[in-house]
This record gives sequence, C-alpha cells and structure tokens, in this order.
Amino acid sequence: MSDTAIRVENLVKVYRPRGTAEIRAVDDLSFTVERGSIFGLLGPNGAGKTTTLRVLTTLVRPTSGFAEVLGHDVVRAPLEVRKRIGVVVQEHAAELLLSVRANLLTFARFHGQAGAAVRKRAGDVMDQFGLAEVAERKVQDLSGGVRRRVQVAKMFMVDVPVVFLDEFSSGMDPILKRAVMDLLRAQAIGGRTIVLTTQILTEAEELCDDILIINRGRQVARGNINALKLLTERLYDVTLSFDRVPDALSTVLAAYQATAVTVDHNTVQLRLKEDESRVLELVSVLAKNGRVLRVEISGGSLEDVFVELTQKGEAAT
Amino acid sequence: MSPRAMTAVIVREGRIRATNSTFIFWDLLYPLGYLMVFGLGVNASMGFTSGLAGIDYNAFFLAGVLGMASFGIASNTSWSFFLDRDNGIFYEMLTYPLSRSEYLIGKVLFNVFVGLVQTLLTVVLSAMLLKVPVRAQGMPLLIGATVIGTSGWFFFYAIFALRIRRNDAFNTVTSVFYFFFLFASSMFYPLEPLPAVFRLVARLNPITWHVDVLRYATIGAGSPALVALEAVLFVAFTAAAFAGAMVALDRQG
Repeated sequence: MSDTAIRVENLVKVYRPRGTAEIRAVDDLSFTVERGSIFGLLGPNGAGKTTTLRVLTTLVRPTSGFAEVLGHDVVRAPLEVRKRIGVVVQEHAAELLLSVRANLLTFARFHGQAGAAVRKRAGDVMDQFGLAEVAERKVQDLSGGVRRRVQVAKMFMVDVPVVFLDEFSSGMDPILKRAVMDLLRAQAIGGRTIVLTTQILTEAEELCDDILIINRGRQVARGNINALKLLTERLYDVTLSFDRVPDALSTVLAAYQATAVTVDHNTVQLRLKEDESRVLELVSVLAKNGRVLRVEISGGSLEDVFVELTQKGEAAT
Repeated sequence: MSPRAMTAVIVREGRIRATNSTFIFWDLLYPLGYLMVFGLGVNASMGFTSGLAGIDYNAFFLAGVLGMASFGIASNTSWSFFLDRDNGIFYEMLTYPLSRSEYLIGKVLFNVFVGLVQTLLTVVLSAMLLKVPVRAQGMPLLIGATVIGTSGWFFFYAIFALRIRRNDAFNTVTSVFYFFFLFASSMFYPLEPLPAVFRLVARLNPITWHVDVLRYATIGAGSPALVALEAVLFVAFTAAAFAGAMVALDRQG
C-alpha cells in the first residue's frame, strides 16, 4: 500500500464566466499528501485553495492535469473517491429542518451506516462536540457557530480515511476549536489523512505536519513548519517595553530595515529584516536612549512567512 | 445503481417531509380538495358537463387533478434544490458516496411514493364521495402513469431549478409553466370543441399526454390508439428530461 493519500499533478482549473475574462483559479499545481498526515493548504483569498479542494472532492472537474485520492482518479472514478472521503465545505451546510441528532444519523446513512451502533456513536459524538443538550432541536433554531459544530461533528460519525476541512473553525469559540484540533490530531495519529484550508495561521502552525502555500493558483512554498520558517531567516519580531518611548526612536530606526513598526503606549513592536547581530545592536542602541523594561525577540512566525511570500508573489506580477 | 445510496436519499427526504405535518396533509389531500371545490362546485352550481357523452365533470376532471398533483409535487420538490443550495447542504451532498444519478433518482422515488399515496387516496375518495365511476382494471395503468408522470415532471423542473440560481426567477418560470402547461391542455376541458390552433398547442403539450393516459386509466375515456401514442411520447419526454437534469446536475459544483 502506497504511503501517498493524495497525488496532484499539473492541476489546472480555469473558469470562464460569461461576459468576463477567464479565471485561472488553479494554475499547474502539483503536490502529494502522505497518509495519516495533517496537510494545510494556505493562501490569501482567491488563491485557489477552495477550488483545489473542490477538485479533490469531485465537486468540479479540472480543466487539465491529474488528481487522485487513495489511488482513485477524481475524474474517472469519482464515486470511489467519495466513498473514501468526508468533506466540510466552506459554506455552512446542515439539514436545517432536521434535529442535530437526525443530521448525524442522516449523514451516517449516506455512508452506509445505520442501526443501534450508529445511534450510540451519534450520542458519543454529540457529547464530544457539546451538542447533547441541543440533540433534538432543529438546526435552523441554532446559532451559526453551533451549526458549524454540527457540520464538523458529522465527520466523526464515519471512518472515512480522508477528511477535507475548508475553513473548519469559522464561527467556533476558542474552547471548542481547541477541542476539535485535539480530536483532529488524534484522528491523524490513528491513520486518518486530514486536508485543511485555513486563513488562521496559528491554527495551521499548531496542527499541520505539512503545509502548502499557494497564491494565484500556484505553489509559493511547501514544507513543514520548520522548513517554512527557514524561508524567513533574517526576519525577526522584536517587542520592547520602555518606561517612556525614546524621542529618537524614528531616527534610530531609519538605519535599520524595519518592515513594520507599531507603538502602543510604552511598547514598541518591530518586524526587522536584518541579521541577528544587527537586531541585537538595535536593541542596544535603543536601550541607550530609554529605560527598557522588557525585551522579546522571536524568529518569524508562519504569518510572517505567509505575508512575505504572498506579497513577494503580488510584487512579481 | 446502489439501493443503499438511493434509500439514504429517500430516508432523508422522508425525514425532512415528516417535520411538517401540514405539509403532509396538504400533499396528500390537495388534489381531492381541488376536485371538491372546483369539480364539485362547477358541476353542481353551474351545471357544467364534460361535453363527453355519459361523463359528468367530476369524472372528467379527476384525471386533471391527478395530473395537476404530479405537476405540483414536481415543482415543489425541484424547488427544494434552492433550499438545499441555500443551506449549503446541496454541495456537501454531492461529495457523499452516491452518484449524481442516484441522488436524482432517490429524490424522485420519494416523491413518486407520495404521488402514489396521493393518487390512490384521491381516486378512492372521489369514487366514494363523488360517485366517480373509476375502473378497477385501469389501476395498473394509473399507477404506471403516476410513477412516470411524477418522475417526468420532476426531471423537467429539475433542469430549471439546477440551472437558475435565483429563487425569484425560478418562481417566475414555474408560474409561466403552470399557466401554459395547465391551461393549454386537456386538464380542465375536452379539446374537441376548442379552436384548431388551441387544439394543436394542447396536442403538443406533454401534460395533455399525461392527463389523457390518466383519464383513460381512471374512467376509460379516449381512444386506446391515441392514448398509447401519448403514453409513448410521455415516456420519451421523461427520458429526455432525465438526461437534461443529469447534464444540469453534472455542471453543479
């Protein structure tokens, strides 16, 4: 059995809306996803993440190129693909007229599961997702966040080997989000492959074993979080708290490459594109101009990588 | 075709329909209500007859309301595509382990079931309450015409419901269809006394084919040869509508 769960080669998806120019939503994209991994597909709005997911989940056909899920071609064998996947689409999707319990049971029946064992599992899943109290309420009477919870909870009703989550945490409160992230991690350890898109980069940073950043339908960067962070070598976030912000701050900073500066009361936050020695030198110079109460220096985050790479892409076009 | 997949669609449709008892009541009894109000009212208060020898208006109109019921179920059910799309569940369902044809057929099977219950209830009660002389030997044909009729009109409407993105635009389309298909047909009146142009349009109208078969099945009115031709034409219409609906569904996503 291959270790590859998903294989995408030279994938292209072009939309041709009537009366307007064609849109190249996915442009020659290639990647693979390992079984049992959590794969993050990241990119700004309109980058092609959702279109890529729609191809992989057999919702749309690619214009050209090839994509397969667990060895099944998404174009030639869409039903075989669908038997092996669970999908949380970007839109809030629920059977509004049905109760929470009926939503879970209906979903399970589509995957060929019915009976007492499934009803018990529905109870367990509702407990895990904090839905037990609203089990018999129609979904149309619940808030958007709870509806999203129902939508994600359905994925835990069946044991499909690959799950696609498009912006899964939208509308979830932080406590539930953390609980779902823990569940997803446990699922991946159990062998499930999870593909997610998100714009919340801390989420990807915490969850994903492997990340692909795309922009304008093309790959911008690929790798695990540490490999991606290497792309931001010489990128530092510096936070300094003073008893009083030095008057000479802007004069001092003029000699350094600060890509972002924010001053909030007595705290200065800087993003610097400099060597480590120059960063330390700047801190030392600022310390001579004012009393420093706190210093914090950290390497670039995934957010920095993301902004850096996608902006570079924008500038290049 | 997977029976499991289609059963899942049928159960889903049933669960949704069961959440509203008024809906069920209306679904099952509205053709009979129409017959009572329109048929009985016209028959009794205005003294209309069907214009066909030995057939009163209630007996004539029974096939009309059955045809109208199939047409109505189809338009209501196809409207559910909009509801599903608004709820987001439509796209999620397209990723479920079933083919798009199974999805479409599962959806129609539930409505065929509702249509059959509705038809049998209407026929039995109209025979009992309105003394319509329903032919027992026509029952197999009646069942067949209800199954094919409800399916044909559902597939036909599905083409438009899947292609049109705006609910209000779809409502306009259904209003036009109601007006055109129902009135330019043999649903409310016999075609023979009508002007030639009207007759021609009505003869080309699939609902005339459907209603004529239902009329032959229920009360034996009409020429067997013409009814057989109309039955074949309606089956062809259903097959074409299914193909059209499949193309429209394949373009979703």
